[in-house]
Amino acid sequence: MSGRARVEYGAGLALSMLLLVLAVAPGLFAGSPDDVDIALRLKPPSAMHWFGSDETGRDVYARVVHGTGTTLGIVGAAMLLAAVIGGSGGAVAGFFGRLGDMALSRGADALLAFPPIILGVVVAATLGPGAANLVLALAIIYTPVFFRVSRATALGEGAHAYVEAARALGHGEWAVLLRHVAPNVLPTVLLQCVILFPLALQIQAALGFLGLGVPPPTPDWGASLQESRNYLTAAPWLAIFPGLALLVAALAALLLGRGLQSRS
Amino acid sequence: MLGALAGRLGAAAMTAVLSTAAVFLLIRAVPGDVVGEMLGQSAGDRAAEAALRAFFGLDRPLWQQYLGWAGDVLRGDLGVSWRQGLPVAGIVGKAFLVTLQIGLVTLAVALFVGVPLGILAGVRHGRWPDLLVEVVSLVALSAPVFWTGMVLLIAAGTWFGWSPPLIYAGPGENLADNIESIALPVMALGLLQAAAYAQFARQQTMQVMRQDFIRAAISRGLPARVVYGRHLLRNVAIPLVTFAGVILVQILGGVVVVETLFAIPGLGRTLLAAIQARDYPVLQGALLVAVLVALLVNLLVDLLYAAIDPRVRGA
Repeated sequence: MSGRARVEYGAGLALSMLLLVLAVAPGLFAGSPDDVDIALRLKPPSAMHWFGSDETGRDVYARVVHGTGTTLGIVGAAMLLAAVIGGSGGAVAGFFGRLGDMALSRGADALLAFPPIILGVVVAATLGPGAANLVLALAIIYTPVFFRVSRATALGEGAHAYVEAARALGHGEWAVLLRHVAPNVLPTVLLQCVILFPLALQIQAALGFLGLGVPPPTPDWGASLQESRNYLTAAPWLAIFPGLALLVAALAALLLGRGLQSRS
Repeated sequence: MLGALAGRLGAAAMTAVLSTAAVFLLIRAVPGDVVGEMLGQSAGDRAAEAALRAFFGLDRPLWQQYLGWAGDVLRGDLGVSWRQGLPVAGIVGKAFLVTLQIGLVTLAVALFVGVPLGILAGVRHGRWPDLLVEVVSLVALSAPVFWTGMVLLIAAGTWFGWSPPLIYAGPGENLADNIESIALPVMALGLLQAAAYAQFARQQTMQVMRQDFIRAAISRGLPARVVYGRHLLRNVAIPLVTFAGVILVQILGGVVVVETLFAIPGLGRTLLAAIQARDYPVLQGALLVAVLVALLVNLLVDLLYAAIDPRVRGA
């Protein structure tokens, strides 16, 4: 790893840690995101309210901090769900091959044919708003990606001599897959979680912005951007700060992913 | 070559059938349909509901509905909008042209900004131009594209007192108005894709620069113009051309949100409006176009790749 790559990786790691802390314990860093104070309506950033206040006088800083958990939690849950379903499906398909593999692969191709955001819009709009539905929509977009990656890895691993050796020792096919192949597929799938995270985050934000995300008053970065639309010139801070939060989170995951990729 | 082409076409057609079928089922799988929304106050009137359902063909089994729709599509008939009463082909076609214009202009911007910067960064690897391009492109890649659009709107309004026209104008109606309408969306999308292009071009350049023939060319004392212009560019060009396809598909996806922000009547906004109104024929038509374009672009990229690079032919 070059010096610059190490700096990038370190920055990604540090930012990710910070975001994780904010997501887990937002109360340590900010007050309530729901305190309404009409006297503070649309006030610009100040020493008291670092990021200004919104149309009902709520503190934008508190909403951004408390939005960390919602936004990153939804994306994280979606990545996990997609990794479990796509990853295990891909490993089974790649290892056993044959008809099941062909059917699953065609299905994955069919989902991958859509531009991801368009698929997200259709699924999220059909399911209706809500955090759980958003997780599902994002998971549907990325399951075929995990499937492909995991399948290719399992296919490659299956050709190795250690698999042949395990078979020769009399292990059953499933035992070989679970005990020998799967542990070698897992790191690839985990790495893919980090690599896909910034992309999924941007789609999560876009869906929130389109009003297909978490319903108010739950703080969420994309939803905040949706609410800020009517005040773009009157109160630009409403749009600037949640967007910056999204940028930082995506950058953190991007740097982390690149660092992990060059290390592996 | 012809056999491989036929195979690719067949696979693409199969994917198109599967993906349209998946969407067809998905949008019908959830409760609530256009009938309930149309009846509104008088919902619950069984006779009216049944009549409307029969009129839209919603009373038939799902597979019959899909086959009926797919058969019509193959005959070139995308159906009629349930809400507007107009042919879907006209609605979706018009919207697609709007999106296509933005997509192609954005692609040009991304190409002319991203590629030179990426090659420069690759050639000057590790020095300050590289660092600058890297930092800017990482930040641009991390910013949600619609947020970039919002920031551009804020900046244009605050500093220049300018805002885009409220009503979109096509390039054929009024070119000046059209340029004003698409300027900010193209900038927002272009920044993101130029960053993606720069990263890719940088990576490709660094790979080629490590090759022996470049080192040989430099050590033979050839002028930089020849080394970079002939040896480097020719080898970088192939992946860069094919990357245009990836970028174009990405732009067509990203444009959905950007169109909503800037109130541009393109494919994305048509799609969103159709979902909200549960106007299935328009929704299916718009999705079909999106999928076909993505598949077609990918196919073209593969063919182009084979045409430029003789090593891939027949593979």
